[in-house]
Parts: sequence; structure tokens; C-alpha cells
Amino acid sequence: MRGSVIVVFLLLCLASNSASAQSWRALTSAQREALSPLVQQWDTLPEKQRHRLLETAKHYPHLTAEKKQRFHERLEKWSKLTPEQREAARKKYRAFNQVPAEKREQVKQKFKEEQANKAQQTGSGVSIAPVINQQ
Amino acid sequence: MITKLSPNQIAQLLTQSTRQLDASTLSSLVDARQNALKRQVRMPVFAFTPASAHTSARWTDRVTPHSTQQWIAIGLLVAALVAATSFWRHSQEQQISELDVAILTDDLPIEVFVD
Repeated sequence: MRGSVIVVFLLLCLASNSASAQSWRALTSAQREALSPLVQQWDTLPEKQRHRLLETAKHYPHLTAEKKQRFHERLEKWSKLTPEQREAARKKYRAFNQVPAEKREQVKQKFKEEQANKAQQTGSGVSIAPVINQQ
Repeated sequence: MITKLSPNQIAQLLTQSTRQLDASTLSSLVDARQNALKRQVRMPVFAFTPASAHTSARWTDRVTPHSTQQWIAIGLLVAALVAATSFWRHSQEQQISELDVAILTDDLPIEVFVD
């Protein structure tokens, strides 16, 4: 009897520990607004990814208008990456953030210049990735 | 006059004195001892012993708590472990979500960080 009570207690603990992610219809308006680019594929995303995106969406209301726009523009592409690609991107971003701020700014400046050149010379194939890899 | 007695001598004296007690007193003492033993909390044995040492007892009997207090203590320990794991996981998820937001809103596009 006591054993079964403990087992039930453990199962309840585990169940509460891994709260399941919600369907699109069950999201709050704030969550829907943050995750609006994913309205079509939300219910097909893996549960772990949905859970993580919901955590990410909590930050959305505190973003500036410009960052909100970037967030929306990039969210769909981000969600289509494989978990390994996302993890690799996180590693690379962490590494890039350990570069001195001055050097980071130089890289960003160089990127902007390259983007501007790219806009002028269509199909030039210029990429900033090698610049970051060199840091 | 003070006589120094060894523990053995004291035990002998107590045994002799006990023999002089009448039957009703002895019976009361035996009852009191039995009652005290009944109230005594049995301590669990959480160590595995060689099978030859206690061939009659199953190992589950030796590792299973025997009192409500022990069950409660184990329950609380498990709950604390689950809570700690949950907190750690939540903290990890928060760090990852903060990083994801930073990537998604950075001046540099995500293509830069994706191979």
C-alpha cells in the first residue's frame, strides 16, 4: 500500500516536471503575437521545440520595435533548422560574444559594408561567416 | 567505606538480586521489557549483506523502510530531488531561450551563425 502511494507520488512529480507544450489554439494572445510567423507549423513542431519557443516568446514583449521585427523575420527560418544546427549556432554565438566588444563591432561594421556592396553587385556571393570563423 | 566494583562484579550482584525477587515482581519486569521492545522503532538496514549471512530474509525486506516516518523521509528526499532537477532544467531552458532571443534579434543575421 505504502509502496503504491510512493509510486503514484513519483509519477505525479515526473508528470508535473515535464509539462506538455500547448497547441496553437491554447496559446495566450501574447504568445500568439510573439510566435505569429509559426502559426502554420506550430502544431507540427516537436514538443520540446514548442516548449523552448514558448520560453523564448516570454522575452518578446520586452523587445524594441526593431528587435521585434527581426525576431519575427528570423523565427520561421530558425524553427526550420535542425536541433544540431541551432545548437551549433548557439555555440558560435557564445564564442562570438567572447570576442572583445570593439572587435565585434568591427565585424558587424564589415558585415554591413559587405551587405551594401552585395546589394550593388547582385550575386557576388559575399559572406560574413569566414570573418566570424577567424575570430 | 567505598569498594571499587568492576562491571562484572556489578552484573553478578544484579543477577543475584534478581534471583531474590518474588515471582510477581519478575513478571512485571518481564512485561515492562516486552512493552518497551514493542515500542522500539525498528531501524532499516540499507546495506546489502552477503546472501549467506541472512539466507532466510529477502534483500527487499532489508532495504525497505519499516516505519511511516521513514517513508515520509524518503518521500521528502525524492520530492527534493525532483524539485532540484526541475529547477536546474528550468534554469537551463531559460539560459537557452535568452540566447535564442539574442541570436534572433542580433545585428547580424542568423545565417552568420549557422554553418
